[in-house]
Amino acid sequence: MSRRVMIVDDALFMRNLLKDIFVRAGYQVVGEADSGETALAIYQQTRPELVTMDIVMPDKSGLETVRDILAADPEACILMISALGQDMLLAEAIVAGAKDFIIKPFKEEQVLDIAKRLLEEA
Amino acid sequence: MDMSHYRELFLSETREHIERLNELAVSLEEAPDRRQTINALFRETHSIKGMAATMGFSSMATLAHHLEDLMDSCRSSGQASAAVIDSLCQGIDLLAGLLDDIQNDRPERDMADSLVPPGEQGPSASSAEPVATPDRLPAGVTAIGDPEAGDLTTAAAEFQEIPACQVQVRLAEETPASAARCLLILRELEKIGAVTSSRPDITTLRQGLPCPQIEVWLQTTRDHAAIESALSGISSVASVRVGEDRRAVPRRENRAETRSIRVRTDLLDQFINLTGELVTQRNILAAASRRKDWDEVNQVLAQAERLIGDLHHQVLQARLMPLESITGRLPRIVRDLSRSSGKQVTLKMTGTEIGIDRVILEELNDPLLHLVRNAIDHGIEAVGEIHLAARREKETVIIEFSDNGKGMDPQGLRRKAVAGGLITSAQAEQLCDPDALMLICQPGFSTAGQVTDLSGRGVGMDVVKAAVNRLGGTLEINSEIGHGTVFRLRLPLSIAIIRILLVQCGEVPLAIPMTRVHKTLEIPGYAVQRSGRDRSFRDQEEDVTLVSLAEALGLSGGPATGSIALFVTERHGRRVGLQVDQFLGQREAYIKPVGFPLNRLTGLSGAVIEADGRVVFVIDPPLLLEKHLLAETHRPENRMPLRDFDSGQLETLKKISNIGMEQAAAALSQMLDRDIRLQAPQVSVTRSSQVADDLGGDTADRAVGVALEIQGDAQGQLLLLLPQESTDQLLSLLSDNPGEALEMTDETASALKEVGNIVDPARNAVCNLMHEIQCFLAE
Repeated sequence: MSRRVMIVDDALFMRNLLKDIFVRAGYQVVGEADSGETALAIYQQTRPELVTMDIVMPDKSGLETVRDILAADPEACILMISALGQDMLLAEAIVAGAKDFIIKPFKEEQVLDIAKRLLEEA
Repeated sequence: MDMSHYRELFLSETREHIERLNELAVSLEEAPDRRQTINALFRETHSIKGMAATMGFSSMATLAHHLEDLMDSCRSSGQASAAVIDSLCQGIDLLAGLLDDIQNDRPERDMADSLVPPGEQGPSASSAEPVATPDRLPAGVTAIGDPEAGDLTTAAAEFQEIPACQVQVRLAEETPASAARCLLILRELEKIGAVTSSRPDITTLRQGLPCPQIEVWLQTTRDHAAIESALSGISSVASVRVGEDRRAVPRRENRAETRSIRVRTDLLDQFINLTGELVTQRNILAAASRRKDWDEVNQVLAQAERLIGDLHHQVLQARLMPLESITGRLPRIVRDLSRSSGKQVTLKMTGTEIGIDRVILEELNDPLLHLVRNAIDHGIEAVGEIHLAARREKETVIIEFSDNGKGMDPQGLRRKAVAGGLITSAQAEQLCDPDALMLICQPGFSTAGQVTDLSGRGVGMDVVKAAVNRLGGTLEINSEIGHGTVFRLRLPLSIAIIRILLVQCGEVPLAIPMTRVHKTLEIPGYAVQRSGRDRSFRDQEEDVTLVSLAEALGLSGGPATGSIALFVTERHGRRVGLQVDQFLGQREAYIKPVGFPLNRLTGLSGAVIEADGRVVFVIDPPLLLEKHLLAETHRPENRMPLRDFDSGQLETLKKISNIGMEQAAAALSQMLDRDIRLQAPQVSVTRSSQVADDLGGDTADRAVGVALEIQGDAQGQLLLLLPQESTDQLLSLLSDNPGEALEMTDETASALKEVGNIVDPARNAVCNLMHEIQCFLAE
């Protein structure tokens, strides 16, 4: 059965890029959220096995969204996606319970390696 | 298991025992044959020995054991000789030193040389030998059945059974977000054992600063291979080294967050009672409001107000500690100082049982010490008395510190301040006598000019005044020549609730702690003098710089009116006026600390909640001014002229930029699977305000700018400027429908922002190369 992934990113471009990577590798992208506000509801509906989370988003940040999702589901497996230079936010996200992180720009294999490892651990 | 809890308790209890030892040592000197004192000293040393041995601090245990022997010999001989008391005092000082070592996570200092035997033989043979060899510790010491140390004994024993080992993990070079990576490493290690401490610790890691490696103390029963394999899945790990097993008790770091205080249980019971009553009142209130019984509601509200007042009072009580917890060591200090100075000084203390907020007490420690030193060094001539009297007056505590020495001469102080260049002779003449006495609190007063006998005071008096001010208190000095000097410290009992000044500043209300406000003023607009961008006004015969609070905060101020409202505050001892739009009043407020990320803002010290639920930020003027005035000197018009670069240097800068651009292009190519080339065709040096013009921009041409911040060792900004046409191209490239031009919508804007992030390798490259540029510029 294909693994179920959800993508949270305010940039359409990044969502498409990640979606293509996951679909090509045989994952099923069950949800996409373009903001922190909508992410939690979509998470609740779709209950994905893995969430990729942009850390800098307008209004509600990825960090807050991570906290919300983990409050609703402590088992949630969240992978942060961040640009360089957001070290403090990333550290906070890890403390909040995010499972790992990837720095943009990333390579396709990088994303798939980490996704595979996280899903195996879970 | 977490040992930090016990460690904290150990530190605070031992500190108290040492205080007590100091007091007892002084009273022993007064009555060397008093059995009660000797017994008490014996008990105190015994307690320290037990606790230190339990915690595994062997040097301290050995020393305490020796002191216990010393007191035991006094018990049998019925009195303590002067040599024994000296040796005891030395030992107590050494205990305090060892405790400092432990508190600061240093290895315990070596005592073998510190405690030399007294010149004459003490009553006990053992006291005549150097004492600090750990192997002299009798076997019985580690197994003391002290009732109060009982819990510690078992806890420490259990804890020590699991061996701890040191794990050192190195990250690959240039690992991005290394702090977050280290946090992941810590998390993995937590899965196979207990992390007792790490360097850097979690608090430091959370700040996100680069850290190429992390050292972890891990208690685990697993072997080295298991530890290594636990970390094998983590990317960017370059090497893992597992150190030798060590059975010592590792020490917990980041204790700052867990400072413990001891609260009497009856006080806790009162909290519970009051909270219970409040719950009841809330239920009554809910019922009454459902019934719309407003009389009842008002009644209950009045009740609740009383209860909240009580609760507040009780909570403050819990933070109070008696003044004697810091004055306890003064008798000992006076004894030592009068000995070393050859003077005969007695110390009298009254009212030291008064409770004061522990934060305030901590700050008072050094000032009291300065006052004692000054009184003995400069106040008292040969024989005299120091009197410390504390009393409460409403919500303030007054500590009067007086000596019956020779007093200070205001005229002498004026002369000295003029000679030292602190004030002009005209200013000196205008000072009244009390103000002239305050001159000793000027930083640099004691070192300014020749120190005369009569005006020699002033060592650290600026420190005293600064501490008192920081606490929101005041300092007064009275002195009479030939009769002595009185220092009067007036301090708040508690600082959790403080008085604030509320001001309107542009759209927002702001709060300023009243302790930071010297006075509020309204001056007519014409009273403001201008010189370039700088504004000032005359106040008390002095030109005072005027700064707009709104401007300092980057807010837009309200409309200009005829008069200017301002408050006067202080920065580096100079008065500064901060202009506001309007004063909204003063009141008492509980200052709440602000959380991340607001707590990273300079000049913002907390927040208060208004009755309507609105949050009002509390501004700390000195810090804010620091930042503002610093930024001010970096304004283009205040800056140094641009330096000249020769063509060779420009060529180098161009190369440096191109390396960054190449990396960005490579990244873009990789992500888009398309060949993309970026190039920096020219490099010129210009003022930031002129960038747009220099690029040939013209208001008719639309351009899209993506601004990127460079953080790290070298700071800066990158501005990615794209002509409208290129933007369209890029967007269509990024979109799902290549070839189709896109409108500038929110969505395309966010995609563009992403482009900014994608050129991050460029930013990274620039970060690294900024150093080179800096070095290059320095040449």
